[in-house]
Amino acid sequence: MNLPINLQNTQAITRRHFFGQSGLGFGAIALSKLLAQNGYAAQTQNFKIPAKAKSIIYLHMAGSPSQIDLFENKPTLTKYHGKDCPQEYLEGKRFAFIKGTPKMMGPVFDYNQYGESGQWVSSLMPGLSSVIDDVCVIRSMHTDQFNHSPAQLLLQTGNPLLGYPSMGSWVTYGLGSDNENLPGFVVLASGGKTPSAGKSLWGAGFLPTLYQGVQCRTDGGDPILYLSDPKGFNRKARRTTLDALKDLNQYHHKHIGDPETISRISQYELAFRMQMSVPEVMDLKKEPEHILKLYGAKPGHVSNAESATDPRQLYKSNDPTFANNCLLARRLVENGVRFVQLYDWGWDHHGSSLGESIDETLPIKCQQIDRAIAGLITDLKQRGLFEETLIVWGGEFGRTPMMQNNVRNELKKGFYGRDHHPHAFTMWMAGAGIKPGAYGETDDIGYYIGKNPVGIRDLQATILHQIGINPHRFHFPYQGLNQRLIGPTNEGKVIKGILS
Amino acid sequence: MKNFTLLLLISLPNLQVQVSGKISFNQDIQPILSSNCYSCHGPDSESREAGLRLDTREGAIMDLGGYRAVDPGKPDESEIILRIESEDQDEVMPPPESGHVISSEQFALLREWIQTGAEYETHWSFKTPHKQPLPDIKRKEWPLSPIDHFVLKKLETENLPISKDASRHAWIRRVFLDITGLPPTIEQAEQFYNDQENGAYEKVVDHLLSSDAYGEHWARMWLDLARFADTKGYEKDLHRDMWRYRDWLIKALNEDMRYDQFTIEQLAGDMLTNPSPDQILATAFHRNTMENDEGGTDNEEFRVAAVKDRVDTTIQVWMGLTMGCAKCHTHKYDPISIEDYYSFYAMFNQTEDADRVTPIVPTPTSEQARQQKEIQKKISQLQIALQKKPEAFQKDLENWKGKFKNQPLWEPFTLVKMESKQGVILEQRAHGILQTKDENPEKDTWTLTLSIPDDSQITSIRIDTFPKKTGGKWIDKNVALREISAEWNGQDQESRKVNLINPRADFSQKGWEVSKAINGNKNAGWAFSPRSDQPHVAIFDIQNPIKGGNLLLTLEQEFGQGLLFESFRISFSTYPVRWLKPVIDYEKEFNLIFEEQVFAKTRNIHDKIKRETKALNSLNSQISKTPIMRELPESKLRPNAIHQRGNFLDPGKNVNPEVLTFFGKIPSGYNTDRLGAAQWLMSKENPLTSRVMVNRVWARLFGIGIVETEEDFGSQGMHPSHPELLDWLAVDYQENGWSLKKLLKSIVLSRTYRQSSVIHKDALQKDPRNRLLGRGPRFRLTAEMLRDQSLFASGLLTHRIGGPSVMPPQPPGVWKSTYSGAKWKTETGPNRYRRGLYTYIKRTSPHPAMVTFDAGTGEVCQVRRIRTNTPLQALITLNDQAYMEAAGNLSNQMLSYNAELSQQIAHGFKRLLTRPPGKKELQRLISLYHQLEEEIFNKDDYLQSAGLQTGNPAMVALASVLLNLDETLTKP
Repeated sequence: MNLPINLQNTQAITRRHFFGQSGLGFGAIALSKLLAQNGYAAQTQNFKIPAKAKSIIYLHMAGSPSQIDLFENKPTLTKYHGKDCPQEYLEGKRFAFIKGTPKMMGPVFDYNQYGESGQWVSSLMPGLSSVIDDVCVIRSMHTDQFNHSPAQLLLQTGNPLLGYPSMGSWVTYGLGSDNENLPGFVVLASGGKTPSAGKSLWGAGFLPTLYQGVQCRTDGGDPILYLSDPKGFNRKARRTTLDALKDLNQYHHKHIGDPETISRISQYELAFRMQMSVPEVMDLKKEPEHILKLYGAKPGHVSNAESATDPRQLYKSNDPTFANNCLLARRLVENGVRFVQLYDWGWDHHGSSLGESIDETLPIKCQQIDRAIAGLITDLKQRGLFEETLIVWGGEFGRTPMMQNNVRNELKKGFYGRDHHPHAFTMWMAGAGIKPGAYGETDDIGYYIGKNPVGIRDLQATILHQIGINPHRFHFPYQGLNQRLIGPTNEGKVIKGILS
Repeated sequence: MKNFTLLLLISLPNLQVQVSGKISFNQDIQPILSSNCYSCHGPDSESREAGLRLDTREGAIMDLGGYRAVDPGKPDESEIILRIESEDQDEVMPPPESGHVISSEQFALLREWIQTGAEYETHWSFKTPHKQPLPDIKRKEWPLSPIDHFVLKKLETENLPISKDASRHAWIRRVFLDITGLPPTIEQAEQFYNDQENGAYEKVVDHLLSSDAYGEHWARMWLDLARFADTKGYEKDLHRDMWRYRDWLIKALNEDMRYDQFTIEQLAGDMLTNPSPDQILATAFHRNTMENDEGGTDNEEFRVAAVKDRVDTTIQVWMGLTMGCAKCHTHKYDPISIEDYYSFYAMFNQTEDADRVTPIVPTPTSEQARQQKEIQKKISQLQIALQKKPEAFQKDLENWKGKFKNQPLWEPFTLVKMESKQGVILEQRAHGILQTKDENPEKDTWTLTLSIPDDSQITSIRIDTFPKKTGGKWIDKNVALREISAEWNGQDQESRKVNLINPRADFSQKGWEVSKAINGNKNAGWAFSPRSDQPHVAIFDIQNPIKGGNLLLTLEQEFGQGLLFESFRISFSTYPVRWLKPVIDYEKEFNLIFEEQVFAKTRNIHDKIKRETKALNSLNSQISKTPIMRELPESKLRPNAIHQRGNFLDPGKNVNPEVLTFFGKIPSGYNTDRLGAAQWLMSKENPLTSRVMVNRVWARLFGIGIVETEEDFGSQGMHPSHPELLDWLAVDYQENGWSLKKLLKSIVLSRTYRQSSVIHKDALQKDPRNRLLGRGPRFRLTAEMLRDQSLFASGLLTHRIGGPSVMPPQPPGVWKSTYSGAKWKTETGPNRYRRGLYTYIKRTSPHPAMVTFDAGTGEVCQVRRIRTNTPLQALITLNDQAYMEAAGNLSNQMLSYNAELSQQIAHGFKRLLTRPPGKKELQRLISLYHQLEEEIFNKDDYLQSAGLQTGNPAMVALASVLLNLDETLTKP
């Protein structure tokens, strides 16, 4: 903190006090200090463990992409394509939209094996295929929620109901952040809509609001809400007003003696610095051409889909919004941001209306993300950041090996669709401490998990573990419970099999 | 950090107790056992290890086979002492993997406790509160109220100083902000400043408590608890009208409704005998739960989630206990078993709502109710007037009816010929009925040539349809007359278009209104499903009446599926069109037609009734419908069972409705239902309700509760800083008739509250957080208070109480919800400047300026807002449109106050801070003003940012500085 000399003494005197107050800036606050100051029983939270990752980039494909068409090459399912789904798969199951007996639907696109690991990847993702030896594909994910909003909440907050802190909030609450001038938990959204569960997905729940995700916007407005000075005002004038504010607050502090006033001064100074550092880090024009090309990014591009009522029909394969966000994510972690959360909307391919089909929309969505993701991995590697950044990719559940039949029971071009499938789906992780390869298997038609099931709790436990937090010990006392991201029971386990 | 913790602890009273040697189980021992041991050795038998429980004395001293966990008087033989001391990783307690560690201080306390007999005590908050005698104090002249005795006693014991009284300016700003959420005006402050009478302070408080702003301010606290929002939550997060509940709340607070009544109405107003509309509206409290409209969700799943939320919220709000964990297993710390949970749940599980907005009821505002009454009264007066018919009425009626003997009101046309695209043939039968000869085709268009009488003008045509016969090719009995058009071949043989107007029918299908048959658009027309098996009538008037020749009527019926006329009649009338009503049996209505349309005097009254009825309907359509609680009828009551591991799809043992019996029974005369539960909460035997409420009020005034963990009065919560004070307030609140206004008054008139918030260095070291109240409260204002204060001081605030939520400016693009077309429509009129509690709350996208200042999202019950400090907050008060407009208006207030710069600045300063600026402050502001005048910035743009056409940009920027002063953002 760059305080003027005459304030440094005051600061020293009240240093203890500072830490005790409910936060200051984004980086400096450690949770136990905040806790003790708000009456939460002073728990010995020895939850920190050696960290593999410094930062996390979480790429959430909101709506849930079809694992059957991207990762799960299932010749047996292809064999049953067009046949009625056996009753054993339907009895006692709750579906969002499937009614009666749907037909089985094989993978729609070609598969090939890639890399030394020889993993099957769909032809829709040439970029990911080229870096497949850097990622660990988990083919045996499962969840217990089959509607978007609750499933997204379960994944990101550990509870299907609203009101719980998000993963990014938990992590920044536990570890703080390395850059005081930037928020520790940044959210970037693309696809034209916020995900189903809305901003609650990056809310702080019962944690102090300081830890909520800060959405950095790339759609032309302020990158962070209220960041810009009012029109007609300039930096010099802002400096002049802040200097006066500082002087006046100091006079007042002399009179009242409340260290909070000193925090206030710092708060305004931090805001002033943020006004410069955020646009700087968000400015993609600073990137050289070959890097922009690597991601497929276009600085300053604002897609029509971002402001459309129904963006799905405006999706274009060369829309660079997600690519821009990936590049931003790299710039943010490079600058010490702890948790960067990307949401890309538009992956809910039911095939029941226009712009949401497996056969036509999925390829477009894949083109929007594929090069960018390969670019991100390549770029992190060439900068030596890959080993200290954890990348997670996936949706909130999977999609059925059956076609969705509530509108029509026959396949029609532009309307291939699959319903929500919580029993088995694919995610991948890469970077810090993750062993590349494949983990888990599903059965011959991709309906159930065959080997090494990984639940949402396991995923959360693993993410916390890699960032240096013991997921079982890390908690916050609230509502009579030691609340944890991984929930109250100990079912969640770190997935040892994917760690290097 | 560790050093800091120790330092802090030393200043806390509980270690002082250790020094004095007296051990209190509640204060010293239970916190250790609770946080380190209970999770495996507590009330929950499922997770209990080694069959040992330490939450009861019986369990702790139980013979474990020659040894005891706790052996009273013999710490060295007590297993827990040995285990804590053990160095064996397998033996040591608490187990290392639990993360719990018992400090040496705690260990010493435990030893001493066992040594002195290991007595247990009921948890302090589970014992009924009593007023203790006021403690002896040294500075007897200081207290103004019993509150001060308790506070002073503690300070004297701890050897901490009290503070002198706050300046009058500071006190009046503080008390205004605390009671109304708004600062005083300069005039109000001056009046108090100069009022040297004895009752000056009390006069101010009484004035504030009787102002409307009081209810608005204190409603906000309750709205947090009620998880109030304007939308339903989850994916679609659609709008739901809940604002009438907020109106109810403001009114209840302003009327100082007793807390017991307030509670009963909100939890069970619908179950009272003959509940008033307001009592039913109050039950919307528990309809603030979320609803999930996402496609494919299971309504029962989210209904159950809502009921659980009601249970958790009820216990949390009234008893300060946390039930959440007992959903899945018996509470690990407090005496609430999973069975208790679902027994309590059973009382709340009997309402009609099921993840849908229903049941809802119209909830008129008092103004709307008044208007309703007024119109209804007018209508009934008019109806009475109709009863008395003038003498001439009967005779005139008979005369009038006589006309129809010669010329009936309606007379069938004679069919001259017809054309059909599909060759359909119509036969005209008795009474002019037209009948298709053969089975109808799928679709067709007919043109009928009908003969018009030569002697009188026809004014209107009428179609009667009769039910189709059953059997045959087409199943659907409906008719879809997509378009009807007419041409007139007059006697001169020239063809002219005939304009049909005033379409009306006895019945129209939804979306197929009769008017659509003449709108020129063939996509829709007149149809009458689901009443296709009944006769129907439609009437079309002729714009310019015609005489003689033929009428060519084209009936377009090309919808398909055989929706064509089969048996029907087309008639004409020669009478005034207002006599022609779309009724099947019009002769029966002659009397009515005569009364309504012909006889001047009665027609007049009928016209008035129609006007009033229209006004009433339009008023009714504007009345908000609010979701409320309604009990299921006895026959539909739901069975109740434990949800195993909290899973509603996995029912366990059946349970009966019951309250938490550890805290007493439902008062006699009440059933085990919601009403009984409400009575139980408010019964005198309930040890928590009153304590929890007074503590909450205390926390809003002093920044921290006497029990800091407002949300947890259970064994995991914190011990009160002033237990006797808390109990005194709790009992006094009951004795004063549960009056919140009296409670507030007694606190804000205390000397404790009146203290200056200037912090002495010494006090800062010893009591940094002012837990012992040796100075006045000083902390940042809430999101709403900040907004309200800036609007009020700048003169922008719209003083309007209640009403629907409003949409003040928010940055564009903040709302981008999935599948919901809802749009943020920024207010441009007076609603742009309403108080913060009226700002629209969309749960998945709340107003960013509110949330950044720690306001909740209304998703779940929020007991307290943890105050945070982030740079984002500074950006809001510096740059947000709302604060810029406030700066703009404030600058104008300053400029128009006086011509002199220093007076202008001092005026703005006082509008916000009440006190005048000090000399140094004023100088600094004046120099700032001159600096700003020099700074280069775009004058016009900047004024525009502040919502001004003309003005002084330097003064706007200066006003913005005033709005951002630490003192402005903080309660003095």
